[in-house]
Amino acid sequence: MTATTVDHEVSPRSGGARHYLLGAGWIRALWMSALFAAFGFGLVVLLRWWGDWQPIFKWTPIVLVSILVCAPLGFLAGLGTFDYWARYAIGSPTRVDDHSGHGATSWKDYFKVNTDHKVIGVQYLVTTIVFFILGGMLALLVRAELAKPGTQYFDPQTYNGLFSVHASLMIFLFVIPAFAGLANFAVPLMLGAADMAFPRLNALSFWLLPIAGIMMLSSFVVPGGAFACGWTGYAPLCSTHQPLGAVFFNQGVQWAGASSIMTALNFLVTIITMRAPGMTFWRMPLLVWANFTTSLLVVIATPFIAGSQFFSMFDHVMHTAFFDPGNGGYALGYQHIFWFYSHPAVYIMMLPGFGIVSEVIAVFSRKPIFGYRLMALSLMAIVVLGFSVWAHHMFVSGMAPWLRVPMMITTLLIAVPTGIKIFSWLATMWEGKLRFNTPMLFALGFLSMFVIGGLSGVMLGAVPIDIHVSDTYFIVAHIHYVLFGGSVFTIFAGMYYWFPKITGRMYNERLGKLHFWLTFVGFNLTFFPMHLVGMEGMPRRVADYAPKFASLNMFISLASFGLGMSTIVFLYNMITSWRNGPIAPSNPWRGMTLEWLVSSPPPTFNFDEIPQVVGSPYEYGVPGAQHAILAPARATEVEEVTVP
Amino acid sequence: MRRGAIAPLIGIGVVAGGIAAAVALALPWLPTPASKEAARIHPLFWFVIVICIVVFAAVTAVMGYTIIRFRAAPDDDSDGPPIHGHTGLEIVWTLIPTLLVTAIGIVSAIVLARNDALGANVLRVNVTAQQFAWSFSYPEANGLTSGTLRLPKDRSVLLVFHAKDVIHSFWVPQFSQKQDTVPGIETRLHITPNRLGTFPVICTELCGLGHAVMRTQAIVMTPAAFDKWLHGQSSAVASPNSSVAGAAVFKNNACGACHTLKAAGTTGKVGPDLDKLAAEAQAAGQPLQDFVRQSIVDPNAYVAKGYAKNVMPATFGTALSKQELDALVQYLISSSKKG
Amino acid sequence: MTAHAEHLPHDEHHHGPPVPHYSSRMTPAVLGMFLFIASEIMLFGSFFTAYFFVRVVAGTPWPTPPFHLPVFVAFLNTCILVTSSFTIHWATTSIKRGNVWGLRAGLLLTFLMGLTFLITQAIEYSRIGFNTSDGAFATIFFCLTGLHGAHVFVGLSILLFMTIRAFRGHFSAEHHHGVEIGGIYWHFVDVMWIVVYATVYLL
Ligand code: HEA
Ligand code: HEA
Ligand code: HEC
Ligand code: CUA
Ligand SMILES: [Cu+2]
Repeated sequence: MTATTVDHEVSPRSGGARHYLLGAGWIRALWMSALFAAFGFGLVVLLRWWGDWQPIFKWTPIVLVSILVCAPLGFLAGLGTFDYWARYAIGSPTRVDDHSGHGATSWKDYFKVNTDHKVIGVQYLVTTIVFFILGGMLALLVRAELAKPGTQYFDPQTYNGLFSVHASLMIFLFVIPAFAGLANFAVPLMLGAADMAFPRLNALSFWLLPIAGIMMLSSFVVPGGAFACGWTGYAPLCSTHQPLGAVFFNQGVQWAGASSIMTALNFLVTIITMRAPGMTFWRMPLLVWANFTTSLLVVIATPFIAGSQFFSMFDHVMHTAFFDPGNGGYALGYQHIFWFYSHPAVYIMMLPGFGIVSEVIAVFSRKPIFGYRLMALSLMAIVVLGFSVWAHHMFVSGMAPWLRVPMMITTLLIAVPTGIKIFSWLATMWEGKLRFNTPMLFALGFLSMFVIGGLSGVMLGAVPIDIHVSDTYFIVAHIHYVLFGGSVFTIFAGMYYWFPKITGRMYNERLGKLHFWLTFVGFNLTFFPMHLVGMEGMPRRVADYAPKFASLNMFISLASFGLGMSTIVFLYNMITSWRNGPIAPSNPWRGMTLEWLVSSPPPTFNFDEIPQVVGSPYEYGVPGAQHAILAPARATEVEEVTVP
Repeated sequence: MRRGAIAPLIGIGVVAGGIAAAVALALPWLPTPASKEAARIHPLFWFVIVICIVVFAAVTAVMGYTIIRFRAAPDDDSDGPPIHGHTGLEIVWTLIPTLLVTAIGIVSAIVLARNDALGANVLRVNVTAQQFAWSFSYPEANGLTSGTLRLPKDRSVLLVFHAKDVIHSFWVPQFSQKQDTVPGIETRLHITPNRLGTFPVICTELCGLGHAVMRTQAIVMTPAAFDKWLHGQSSAVASPNSSVAGAAVFKNNACGACHTLKAAGTTGKVGPDLDKLAAEAQAAGQPLQDFVRQSIVDPNAYVAKGYAKNVMPATFGTALSKQELDALVQYLISSSKKG
Repeated sequence: MTAHAEHLPHDEHHHGPPVPHYSSRMTPAVLGMFLFIASEIMLFGSFFTAYFFVRVVAGTPWPTPPFHLPVFVAFLNTCILVTSSFTIHWATTSIKRGNVWGLRAGLLLTFLMGLTFLITQAIEYSRIGFNTSDGAFATIFFCLTGLHGAHVFVGLSILLFMTIRAFRGHFSAEHHHGVEIGGIYWHFVDVMWIVVYATVYLL
């Protein structure tokens, strides 16, 4: 494409052989990755030669700069994520509302840089499910090894790599981006906006993800094996005692984190500046509130994990002394900086789920959200408190002892706003007209399981109890009750809930319910016994354990395979329903929020005219209540679609 | 609250709470305590558990009741009553959890303060953690070191931790006390053992490939037996009889945590069976004496088949004195021949 | 960003997006820049946290003998960078009044001063007498000033693009968003340097 092309009627993707090589796309991504990698290689070698650092061909910095930094940049540039900005920067004419990259007409369009928030939402969801399966398979390998005491299939280093990559994929490439994907699809629609505030930034955020994921996975094949220091990557183990794979982790986290920050920034700007007329903050659906608060957390906290991974990586590659006490560093500094992000991160992995559950429970109970304002305020309270509790991960770490009691108090206090949410959901259901479709089942599953996980969290918050159970399987149980029973259940709820809107087809309800029950039962059988083995004395992150835990671990492993099987039902349902499920009406759940007022799937620009918001989004049971008025043209079109 | 809901709500709540309580009571959740600190933590644990069960039962009761009672008929397309909130109720469910967690916080803070308070006549033990072994030294006995932690019953013990390489964590489940050991800083832990017995010492902070096997034992003895051991050991290492001295060195450095050696009565499975040293030396093609010495001083020089490199600490060469090393090598050679 | 952005005339049957509705007085681009700066401040915050741990908690002597810091040269450099904040301000106020020449001169001056700063810093690095691996003091010194230097580099790239566009005549009294947003970032880079200079060199 020539730099002066402004007319979006001329598709930039069409053209001859020259376009084939030079036009944005996978071919260009391929050679530009190679080119950038070569550039990075040259840069390092040149600098080392010039500075006379021996050996000149030192692989750690070369791999870091050329493979982990430059090649991905080349890939992004080749794919075309930077095209617009590059033209803008050199002063070529550009069109702000160039929508040539909008909408998808065939499956191939999902493999291109697309600026449509709905397409990006789907790209996110499919990508994250792939990483969920990969991460889940690693978990099943972990369970296979743990079925019996002693080492069976993996040597200890490989085993440590397995659960480290498992957790990193699940957290950085499944839960966080899956929520971002659902919100990407739903938030602009719910706000009555045509798209996100920065569609091109949105596209870039997505394309950083596969880079991060492939980086973490490919650490298995580099010499020395995958990073094996847990997803927490504590220094000095991770910074100085690990093979090259550790750098893949450090750098993978940077890409995922950058993606996360850019998306959050985009959400914040969209929510603040693009609300439809009449959509005051107190009329926003709770999903939007949830993503607003989450994005605040991300923008403020994520730079800290970026910092922690920089430090750890510099210690590894440049032999700096951040965490090297022999050289003036301070080992515990890593944990403070890491947890200052990673505790808020657990709310980054939960608040969007709270939003989803609020939508689902209101719709399937046919009642307004109980205590809407307090629901929104409690989200803010969690955000604020969330920044003041990081050291509860460090009660036994040897940090300043006086920090423990204040951190315990703030930690325990988080139960209060969370409790408000739980009780308000229950009150929303009370006297409602409950309907147990799959999204509702997952929402209720979430409600019960998250309470268990939250209560075990409160136990951990009590310092003396944490001293006993820290770094045991009790923690592993807590993690999975809040992350699987909490976050993953809400992700499933959201996927089923918006499936008709996203694909225009209904999923199979019976398979959905089967999936729920298999998951619910398998989940409890897998993770509940972990509380027990943990308290009795089994530490986490071990490939080998005392024989007295053998039978329980065998049980857990068997249950976990059952849990894994349940995912196959989900995948089967999603794929077959997407291909030939019954056509979905525009509003199958009779919801009131804006996304249900347009066709399924929504038109390319969501609305013909920006709707006028006139009331709260949850006025179920109020006669004649409306959330928004759509422009008449659109309204007739919707009616045409609803009559199949 | 609607009429007639109270009884079923309480009913479901009692059933859910009852099941939870039964699970809590029937299973052996916590190891039998063996220290005064554990004896304080366990009641705190039960205190919090009771609160949790009550909260869980309340949530389950409401949820169960709504699911049963408010299920919509398939043809019922009507909406529920448009209730937007209830300030009184919202205040209640903000205040009650606040009170409950405040109670948890206060009790925890008290337990923590009491557990941290040292008694009179404190026994200090310096603990060194390294990949992947523990060593305990007793300043009271002129720095006598041991690979197993021996403690007298009913005496306040202060463990002072140092780490050589990465972060490790000291945990004895029966003591319910845990503390990370951090390179570059000194950390401390307070324990008052009050039950005789042998308990596992577990490293609970991921410290590398040998993390799972970084174990040894804590042995709580009567004060008399402890004193006898303390003095017996200091003299044993200095004993002119090389097999007595070697056995002491072997014990003090926790070799038995990883190795089986009949003569010492150890059954560790992390490293090779030291009763089969002769065969191994042959496989390595070295004279027995050199082989054993080299295996201790520089374990990576020859790695037995089926075992991982970098698991056995490489620091014994510098940690042991020449005499100790000689005695140890002699001891291993002679006892493996017997075995 | 609005140089060539004009809304299409909206007829009845258009196929583009609906006319957007802005619910905030701040434009998306400016708000986005402020939020980005907020996260940048947190990134610097994490580096200052590391500084705090090394210098205060671990008690590393500052500067660790035998090294010392060229406080005076850095002071001159600080003056240059602070002055450049004024020149970019001049540039933005000029274009708001429609003065294209003021804009061009202001941007060029700012760019040159930023470049001088960066080159001085590079020279400082090469003559400072210690390396990243020379202990925690050196680590923090290089990482804080290096992080800032990277930001100067980014700021310079933005300035370069702005200058190119200014000379191509893309900005006018009505369309100067691009200058304003780049200007905000440059001010941030300057302010951040004052903090870095104060904590690393002076305290
Ligand atoms: C989605 C993720 C998520 C969420 C939401 C939470 C929520 C909470 N977590 Fe959890 N946590 C993790 C993910 C999460 N956690 C992970 C991944 C780790 C391990 C990291 C690692 O080391 O690898 C961890 C570890 C962890 C620790 C450190 C343990 C250790 O390593 O020693 C602690 C300690 O305090 C803790 C506490 C809490 C608390 C108090 C909450 C609270 O927010 C819970 C609040 C909810 C409720 C309490 C339930 C509902 C409330 C009511 C019904 C009201 C009434 C309640 C009462 C009166 C009690 N968590
Ligand atoms: C969202 C987060 C998340 C999720 C969903 C999971 C899911 C699972 N986790 Fe994970 N886990 C963590 C987050 C998560 N985990 C974290 C943060 C840690 C801490 C790591 C650390 O210590 O650093 C951890 C650690 C951890 C451990 C402890 C390891 C150790 O300490 O030694 C174990 C052990 O059992 C475990 C098991 C499982 C299992 C069995 C699942 C199951 O739910 C998985 C279910 C299986 C699947 C989803 C796969 C399904 C796929 C198929 C069956 C194939 C079908 C394929 C096709 C048809 C193509 N996890
Ligand atoms: C953390 C575990 C651990 C501890 C503690 C440990 N070892 Fe080992 N040892 C190993 C492992 C694993 C091997 C095999 C791999 C190797 O040679 O490095 C080994 C190998 C050996 C060998 C070579 C045996 C052969 O058959 O190849 C000797 C001899 C030995 N150890 C002696 C000792 C002595 C003496 C001590 C105590 C002073 C000790 N070890 C402490 C783990 C340990
Ligand atoms: Cu030492 Cu784990
Ligand atoms: Cu936390």
